[in-house]
Amino acid sequence: VMLGSTIINHRQHVGLQKLSALAEITRSSLGPNKNYKFIQDDTTGESTLVCSCFRILESLELTCSVGQVVYETIETHHRVYNTGSGCLLFLAGAWSHAALECLHRGISVRHIISAMSEGMEICLNVCRQCSISIKRREVSELCPFNVSTVKDSHAHQQLTPRASERPFNLGPQKKLKLSRHFRESESPSISTIHASQLCSYEPFFPDIAHIAETLSHGCTDAMNLVVKASQMQSECNQQDIAFDVTKVVTCVLPGLVEEQATVLPGCVVLVPAEQASVAHHLKEQHLKVALIHGDLAATYRHLGYNRPKGIQSVSDRLDLSRLSKEDTWMEKVVTLLLNLEVNVILVSGVASEKVIECCWRRNILVVEKVKASILKAFAVSTGAIPVTYATQLSKHCVGTGLKVSIWRDLSNNDRKRGTAVNITTDGLNCGLVTVILTSSVHAKLQTLEDQFWACAYRLHWALKDKALLPGAGVTEMVCIQHLQNEAEHDIRNPTESNGVSSQQNKPRTPANPYRDVVLTLMADGLKDYICTVMVNTGVFSKVGARAAVIQHLQDYHGTVGDVAAKFSQLFLHTDTCYNATPTSVESSETPAIKTYDNLCVKQEVWRKALDLVFLVLQTDAEVITGVDRKTNGAQEDLMFL
Amino acid sequence: MSRVVKKSPSVCTDLPLDNTDICNKLSLLKQLLISCFGPAGRLKQIHNNIGGRVISTSTSSVLLSALSSSQPFINLIRTSVLNHVSRFNDCGLFTAILCLTLLEQAKQSGLRRNVSIIVNKHLLGLCTSYLQGQNCGCKVKLDFCSSQYFITLAFSVISSKPACVLTEPEALHISKLAVQAFLLTVPCNNTGVARLGKTLTVCVEGHPVLDSAVFPGLLVDMPDIFFLNAENLHGRSLCTVLFSASLAGDLCELGDGNIELHGDADTDSQILDQLLELGKQVVQDGVNLFVCQKVIHPVLQQYLRGQSVTVIERLGISLMESLSQLAGRFLHLFLIPPKAYGKVKELTIKQFGSKTMLHIHPSGESAICTMILCHRNDTMLSELKVVCQKTEHVLRLTLREPCALMGGGCTETHLAAYIRNKSASLLGCSQTEYLLGAEGFCRSLESVAAALDHKCGNSLTDLTHAHYWTLPADVVEDHMENSLGVCGCGLVESCPSKKWTYLNTKYPEFSPAPVSKGTHLQVRVLDSFTSKLSGLQVAVETANLALDVQYIIQDTN
Repeated sequence: VMLGSTIINHRQHVGLQKLSALAEITRSSLGPNKNYKFIQDDTTGESTLVCSCFRILESLELTCSVGQVVYETIETHHRVYNTGSGCLLFLAGAWSHAALECLHRGISVRHIISAMSEGMEICLNVCRQCSISIKRREVSELCPFNVSTVKDSHAHQQLTPRASERPFNLGPQKKLKLSRHFRESESPSISTIHASQLCSYEPFFPDIAHIAETLSHGCTDAMNLVVKASQMQSECNQQDIAFDVTKVVTCVLPGLVEEQATVLPGCVVLVPAEQASVAHHLKEQHLKVALIHGDLAATYRHLGYNRPKGIQSVSDRLDLSRLSKEDTWMEKVVTLLLNLEVNVILVSGVASEKVIECCWRRNILVVEKVKASILKAFAVSTGAIPVTYATQLSKHCVGTGLKVSIWRDLSNNDRKRGTAVNITTDGLNCGLVTVILTSSVHAKLQTLEDQFWACAYRLHWALKDKALLPGAGVTEMVCIQHLQNEAEHDIRNPTESNGVSSQQNKPRTPANPYRDVVLTLMADGLKDYICTVMVNTGVFSKVGARAAVIQHLQDYHGTVGDVAAKFSQLFLHTDTCYNATPTSVESSETPAIKTYDNLCVKQEVWRKALDLVFLVLQTDAEVITGVDRKTNGAQEDLMFL
Repeated sequence: MSRVVKKSPSVCTDLPLDNTDICNKLSLLKQLLISCFGPAGRLKQIHNNIGGRVISTSTSSVLLSALSSSQPFINLIRTSVLNHVSRFNDCGLFTAILCLTLLEQAKQSGLRRNVSIIVNKHLLGLCTSYLQGQNCGCKVKLDFCSSQYFITLAFSVISSKPACVLTEPEALHISKLAVQAFLLTVPCNNTGVARLGKTLTVCVEGHPVLDSAVFPGLLVDMPDIFFLNAENLHGRSLCTVLFSASLAGDLCELGDGNIELHGDADTDSQILDQLLELGKQVVQDGVNLFVCQKVIHPVLQQYLRGQSVTVIERLGISLMESLSQLAGRFLHLFLIPPKAYGKVKELTIKQFGSKTMLHIHPSGESAICTMILCHRNDTMLSELKVVCQKTEHVLRLTLREPCALMGGGCTETHLAAYIRNKSASLLGCSQTEYLLGAEGFCRSLESVAAALDHKCGNSLTDLTHAHYWTLPADVVEDHMENSLGVCGCGLVESCPSKKWTYLNTKYPEFSPAPVSKGTHLQVRVLDSFTSKLSGLQVAVETANLALDVQYIIQDTN
């Protein structure tokens, strides 16, 4: 085995350049107005329509090592958070650009890393300070009587240090303004009531709708579906705020117009015409269900079963009349099903043609390829116990209370796809909800599904965090201001040991002389991010956005509190997309912040973006194993060991 | 039709160290390894030429396994270091860099090879006995009553690998977990032969590092928690049976021969009957937890669950071994109903990100624990996993020799000063030759310390304790004592009365003093005593072996 290694030139870090170039692909997919991209494969001629950063990276086959590290990070992030991938890649690019600039100015890697880590601490602190507890939002924003006070209480409270840690300890005057309950009775005892108790006076559903709306980020339709799903879950769980993202499934139906997208309780399956007739027969009945975890076929054996090799069957007589093994099995199973009065069989694997036909003749609905999560949900709600072999079924394995209805007959559009059947349980549902996504443009379905999940997870994380961050670039704006303030502090007091985040107890660590430069460059990365989002809204030109941001930072120099509130005004007045559906709470002349971001997602995205930059920045060589000297010998940048 | 291929003659290389190609490769390897050394080291992206997985690392074990060369001479050194790494898990880069520098110095000195070998051997003995001696000035005695030194030791290992991309609080968190895990694996009861336990590592990708945790007992990944119902998991002691044989109900161990079966015979159902018989016996004996390393037949599972027995299948060999240690029982290899059962305290369900895990609590003290490692991405997580295993090993080595060496380059400069101060007359070499050889040896040690600095600063050593210091490149010499701060290991503070000298310059010989006990400073970097000592020995012996190689004969067919 040969080895080649390339030493990356110190001042022109190739890896960082690659990272920065790669990040450019996400430029147009930031912000609420996303552009679609066509990705065409020259070898197969296939093309895909993509919209999100994650899908773009997925479609591109990145071969360079930096590309692979980037894809791996984004993929992991997307799998867990489902939102924020574009921001991650963009900031990784912007900050790698900053790191490159630092290298150009001769700043050592160690200094870059220590200053950028400090910068990250500053930004994460800003997030913590800016975060708004959801509980308090519910109290304040729900009250329809004090629209004007809501606005200014927000502007100040969100920037009070550690506001999120004491969400309920508001001053008495503020409390009077917050809810009409305080107006009615101004006794001091009431002012100590826990804010969450107050919430119980209000209906809860509008809250989730409201939170969701602020998190829709331009995908209003998708978010509406999320809200519907959550309402459906709350109804059947009898819970106040319920949104269990693990009990939501999507069903994608091409060929219908997008307006037909809807949310149904239970699950939706597509069955062929013959099965649909069984479904017709079974509708509006209380049904018994069996759950099969595996295939429904005579030859199926459980996972881990090794079929014996070298076994020969011998027989002492020729018996042509004997039934085949499959037929014996089938007879056994059908008798069992009829005895147990099973009407519906949900199978996680596939069912053999023969079984389906046999069941169809006896009016038993067989549904194949049911997801394990759906199987589990039905196991809970019907009391059925999933079994591997149909022969295992017994009385206590069979669940009851299943309902089948025909949602829509799609067979006139396309013969094969047949009918969409909705399977639910009556009474208390398990909270399983199916979101049906439709589009007449087949290529758009993936994007619609992605958007739905992004919205669903944004709501999920918001409820989990119990906090939100001011969106529309406001948090970033505050971060920029903090970073710049820190940098200026350094310039003014150059000899002093570095500001806030340097630890006191460390014995005289030499100060980082380049901290101001690095922090400023980091702030520039965030500025670039805000400007890009502004440009993408279509209202600002590239220059215009930059000028507006800089002007704004200058106008509110030193007054951290105002920059946020006023910036959101600047943003919102011009950005029609964010203003698309004004709610009753916010009248047009009181532009309270209407877009919010997730706290934990933003923090993770920033950290991960910086991690990528650090990983690449600290890498100075690539070790390629298995290089053949004969074929690659010509490459000049390779050295062989 | 067979073809006769003419055998090509073997290639013989005379005096490999005089060969330019080999020397270039040695220096490339040295450059590569030096750039990875220490907390400020650079990373290498390792991947194959067809676009395989990319690993970002600066860890010797990962790096050296990837760096195979076409040159057997290089591989000789590489294998020797890898062998050290596989035994001690630490100080791999130290060993490799020291060995390569010793070779380079021996070449530069112009001494005869055998003279270099004699001098090196003598100096190694000198170092070893000094380090093992009572009055060694660069050694710290570890106190098992306090965890401070252990955390420092763990922190030094963990923070020396930048590919983990940890912030300081994160690194500290992981260090504490490593020490906690280590302490959990040391058995307390001293009856019979004490046996160290085991730490199992479970990686959870995509979550913050600070979510990492250590639990006593075992955490088993449960991909389908389908059948796991919480009612079965009461907080009571569970009678446990463990099977390592497959209970899938198949006839897999038939060998190669053919078997003839009667057409009516149904082997499957016969085996299943046997399995159910086993199940009945086990239930009768009051078993509540039924574990199998391999697959359990679904029908048997259903039967057992029906009898409210918790069933775990497909556990895998390594978890199974730990579980048998935890439950205090050996595995059952056969389908014969066992008579001896193990005990488990209780079962709980733990959720880590998307992973649902079954936590098996030990009934007594078991010395088995599980470490959950979380990190934001896979690249950093895999490095973190390697580093944590390394830390575990380093901590375990302290049981053998309860001391640690001062890290951050201080041990190396200290040893160099110690050697310079000792004179000796050796058989087979003149005094001049000895001095020349010793100078090369000391410079090699010092250049390993200097390799820690990657920012082109200046490396210094002080003339009292001979610790290692770095001076940033842009500092004027007048402000030296202000900008030096503390030495590499953090135990010596700069003060105006102190004198320094640049490394690789001549300085007056002196006996390096141990740091006085009264210092208010805490040591910040510690190295594993055992693995560094072994590293030193391996490096010198490998260098001596390499110096001794006269010919390389390579069969090219």
